[in-house]
Amino acid sequence: MNIAATPLIILIATAALALVPALVGPVRFRRDAPPALALLGLAAAGVMSVLLWGDRRATFYEAFRVDRLTVLLTLVFVVSGILTVLLSLREPAGVDRRPEYYCLLLCAVAGMTLVAGAADLIGMFLGIEILSVALYVLCALEVWRERSLESGLKYLIVGAVGSALLLYGLTFLFGVTGTTSLADIALRVDARDLGGESLLLGAMVLIIAGLGFKAGAAPFHMWAPDVYEGAPTPITTFMATAVKAAALAAFLRIFGAALIDVIDDWKTPIAVIAALAIVVGNVGGLMQSSFKRLLAYSSIAQAGYLLIGVATGTLDGATAVLFYIIAYTAMTVGAFAVMVIREREVEDGQSIAALAGLGRSNPIVAAVATICLLSLAGFPPLAGFIGKFMLFGAAADADLVWLAVVGAVGSVISLGYYLRPIYAMWAEDSRPEHARSLDPGAPVLFVVLMSGLGVLAMTGGAHWVTEVCRAAAESLIAP
Amino acid sequence: MPWLTILLALPIVGGLVLMLQPRLSAGAARGIACLVAPATFGVACGLLFGFHPNRGPQRQERHDWISSVGLEWTLRLDGISLALVMLTALIFMITVCALVVKFLPERNPAVYLGLILVAEGALMGLWLAGNLLLFYVFWELMLVPFYFLIGVWGAEGRRQAVTRFVIYTMFGSLIMLVGIVATGVFAQRVTGQFTLDIEALRGVVFTEDQSRWLFAAFALAFAIKLPLFPFHGWLPGAYGTAPIAVTVLLAAVMSKAGAYGFMRIGLPVFPDGAAFWQNTLIVMAVVGIIYGSVVAWRAPTMRLVVAYSSLAHLGFVAIGIMAIDPQAAQGAVLQMVNHGLVVAAAFAVVGLLARRSGREGVDDLGGLADGAPWLAGVFLMVTMASLAIPGSNSWAGEFFILVGAFRHSAWAVILASLGTVYASVYMLRLYQRTMNGPRGATPGKAVEMGGADWAMLAPLVAVMGVIALWPHGVLRATEHSVERVVAPAQQALNRPASEIKAAVPANPPETSLPLPGDPLPQPTSPTPNTGATP
Repeated sequence: MNIAATPLIILIATAALALVPALVGPVRFRRDAPPALALLGLAAAGVMSVLLWGDRRATFYEAFRVDRLTVLLTLVFVVSGILTVLLSLREPAGVDRRPEYYCLLLCAVAGMTLVAGAADLIGMFLGIEILSVALYVLCALEVWRERSLESGLKYLIVGAVGSALLLYGLTFLFGVTGTTSLADIALRVDARDLGGESLLLGAMVLIIAGLGFKAGAAPFHMWAPDVYEGAPTPITTFMATAVKAAALAAFLRIFGAALIDVIDDWKTPIAVIAALAIVVGNVGGLMQSSFKRLLAYSSIAQAGYLLIGVATGTLDGATAVLFYIIAYTAMTVGAFAVMVIREREVEDGQSIAALAGLGRSNPIVAAVATICLLSLAGFPPLAGFIGKFMLFGAAADADLVWLAVVGAVGSVISLGYYLRPIYAMWAEDSRPEHARSLDPGAPVLFVVLMSGLGVLAMTGGAHWVTEVCRAAAESLIAP
Repeated sequence: MPWLTILLALPIVGGLVLMLQPRLSAGAARGIACLVAPATFGVACGLLFGFHPNRGPQRQERHDWISSVGLEWTLRLDGISLALVMLTALIFMITVCALVVKFLPERNPAVYLGLILVAEGALMGLWLAGNLLLFYVFWELMLVPFYFLIGVWGAEGRRQAVTRFVIYTMFGSLIMLVGIVATGVFAQRVTGQFTLDIEALRGVVFTEDQSRWLFAAFALAFAIKLPLFPFHGWLPGAYGTAPIAVTVLLAAVMSKAGAYGFMRIGLPVFPDGAAFWQNTLIVMAVVGIIYGSVVAWRAPTMRLVVAYSSLAHLGFVAIGIMAIDPQAAQGAVLQMVNHGLVVAAAFAVVGLLARRSGREGVDDLGGLADGAPWLAGVFLMVTMASLAIPGSNSWAGEFFILVGAFRHSAWAVILASLGTVYASVYMLRLYQRTMNGPRGATPGKAVEMGGADWAMLAPLVAVMGVIALWPHGVLRATEHSVERVVAPAQQALNRPASEIKAAVPANPPETSLPLPGDPLPQPTSPTPNTGATP
C-alpha cells in the first residue's frame, strides 16, 4: 500500500475512534479518553508526515499528492490542532460534548490535509467541504449559548455560499480545460494559451471569491467577526489559524501552480483583494472593545498580508506565504490562549478591559501576549516582521510596490489596536471586579508558553525556517 | 573585544534585568542602574582611544543574523556616530544618576530605569548600525521604551499624546521599511547581489526615479522623527506630557535620530534623490525655524517654550545637512551635539522650576533670581547658549551651518537668520519672566539648586563650555566622515570638484563582470569618478 495517505488515514481513524469511549467504560475513561486519543492521533499524524518529507508521492488515483508543501502544511494543521485540544480541555463545549468535539476537530484537520495535498479539483473541494462542515458544527457546539448557535448558523450560510461559488468556479475551470487534475490544467492552460479567455476569467473570479470566503479576506469577510466572537474560543483559534492556512494552501495550489501561466489575469484581482483585506481588517479593528472581535479583524488583515505573497506568483512570494503562515499560527494561538486564560479567570474575559493589570498579576502571560501582539503588528525583529519583510520584498520584486505600501500603512493603522491590549496589560490597574481568579489550568499555560517560544524561535531561527519553507514552495511548481 | 556590541548590549541587558525582576529591591535596582549607565559611558570614552579621524567607518563587527532577509549584525563607528555615541552616553548617564539620586517615580522605579536603559541601548544601536534593516530594528526598538515611559509615567493626557507619537513615528518608519525592501530589490538589479549593508549600497546607481522615491520614503521617516515642520504634530504632546527626565532624553538624544538618518542613509545612498528634494527640505526646515520660534514666543508653559525652540534648532541642523556642503554638514553634526546638551540643560532647569514651584506656566513665576542666584546664573548660561550668542557652543555650530549653506542657498540663510533673532526673543522672555521682574507667588529660595541639581547641570554646562572654547575637537573627529557622507550628493549636484573632498567609488566596481541581461559595456562609465582622494 502506498504510505502517502497514512497521516490522513490516521486522522480519520482516530476521529472515528474518539466517538467510542463515550459509550463504554468508567466515568474517568469516558472523560479523558477522547482528548487523549485526539492528541495521540494528531501526534501520530504529525510524525508520519515528518517521515514523508522528501520526494513527491501521490495516491487516491493521483488526487492527493504528498510533497513537501503538503507535509509542511499538515504539520501546521496538526500543531494547531494539538494546541486547540489543549486549549479545549476545560472548555464547556469540550466537556459537555466531548466525543463529538474531538471527532469533528480531527475531521477538520483531515479535511485540511486533503486541501493542502490536493492534486485534483475534486479532492480539493472534498477537503474544503469536510473541514467546513466539521466547523459549522463545532461553532455551534455550545448549544445553550445563543451566540454560539448564531455563530454556527452564520458560518453555515455564508460558508455554503462560499462553497457554492468555489464549486461553480471549479466547474468552469473544468469546462475550459477538460480535466480536473491540477497538473494537467497547468499543461493545458500553457499549451492552449488561454490567457484572457473569458470562461477562464469567470472561473478565476468565482474561485477567488469562494476561497476568499474561506480565508476571510475582504470583501468576503463580513461573517468573520460574528462567527469568531460567537464560537468557543479554542475553535476560534483553530479557525483563525488552520482554516486560514488551508484556504491559502488552496490559493497556492490553484493560482501559484496550476494557473501560473495566466498570472497576468489574476495578479491584479488578488492584489486588490489583499489590499482591501488589509485596509478593512485594520480599520475595522480600531473600533473594537472586545479582544476577540479585535483578533477577528486582525485575522482579516493578516489574510490580506498572506494574499500579497500569493499575488506575486513567485517562488519568493510562496516562501514568504508559508513562513508567514507558520509565524502567524504561533502568534495568533498565543493571543487567543491568553484570552482563554482571561475568560476562565474573570467574567467578561473577552473584552480588552479584562486584560488590565495582567502585567502585574501574571507577567509571563502578559509578556507572551505582548510579544505575540507586537509580532502580529510587524514589530522588528520579531517573526511577524520577518514574514512581512519577506512578503513586501516579494511584492516589490514582482512590481507590486503599491501593495507593499498599502501593507505598510495597514501595519501602522493596526498598531492603533494592537497597542491597546498591550497598554491595558502593562499601564492600567486591574479593576476590582476582575479580581477573582479561577485556575486556568496547566495545559493552557503550556500553550501560552509554547506559542511565545514559537514566535521567539522563529525570530532567532528564521534562516532555517525559511530554508524549509523554500523547499516546500519549490515542490509547488515541481513537475 | 567587540566593543561596539558591548556598548549597546550593556544597557539593554541591564535594562532587561531591571524590568524582568519584579521582586528586585529598590536599592538593588538603583545600584544596577547606577553601575550600568556610567559603565556605558566608560565604554564610549574608551572608543575615543584608537579612533582614527582620517579613516572612514572603523571597528567593524559583522555577523550573519537572518540572511534570508538581508539582516546582518553589522556595527561600524565613524566620526558622526562617535559624536552621537558620546552625547547619548553622557546624557543618559547624567539622567539615570539624577533619577537614582532623587527623582525616581514611586510607581515601579525598577521598570522605569530599565526602560530608560533599553532606550539607551537602542539609540546606541541606531548610531552604530551598518545595515539598513538593523538600523530599522533599532529605530523601532527605541520606540517601545519611550511608548511605555510616556504612556505609564506621563502626565494628564498622556494616552492621546503617546498614541499620536507612536502612530506618527510608525507611519514614517513603515514607509521607510518599504523603502528598505525596495532599495534591496532595486540594488540587486544593478549589482546582482542582495545586500542591505549601507556601505555596500553606497554609490549604487539607481535610476533617477528610483533614487527620488526611495529618498522620499526614507526622508519621510526622518522628517517625522526630527521633526520637520508639517510633521511635528506629535511633538508638543509627547514633550509636554512625558516625565521631565524622559522629555530630556527625547529632545536631547532621540530627536537626533532623524538628522542622523539623513546623514547616514539619505545623502550617501540616494544622492540623486537628495539633490532633487534638497530645496523642498530646506524650505520645510526654514518654515520650521520660523514657525517654531513664533510659537515658542507665545507658548503658555515653560516646557513648551523649550519644546518649540527645539523644533527651531533642529531646523538649523536640517539646513546644515540639506545644504549638501561639507562645512554646513560639519556644523550640523556639531549642532546636534550642542542642541543635545543645551536642550537637556534647559529642560532640567524648567523641570526643576516646575517641580519646586508646582507651576508650569511662564507667567506664573517671577523674580526668582533674587533668592536663587546660582540657578539664575546657570539658567542664563543655558539661555545664552540656546540663542547662540557669539562665544557660546551653539554659535560655532550655527555659524558653520550658515556659512556653508550661504554658498549655495543664500535665500535660506537669510530667512533662517530670522530664527536666531527670534531665539533671543523667546529665550529671553522665558528667562526674564521667571528670573527677573516682580516676584511671583513662589519665593526664589524655594527653587535654588541643591546638590542633586548641581550634579545634573554642572557636567552639562562644563561640556558646553569645553565645546564653546574648543569646537575644533568635535569638528576634527567628524571632518573626514562628514566629507565622505556629503560627497556623493555633491557629485549629483555637479558641484565643482574643488569642493568635493572625498572619493565616491563606482558601484558595482567598474572591474566587475557584467550581469546576465546587462547591455554591452559602454565606452564611458555612468558615474564619472571626479572626486579627489584626500
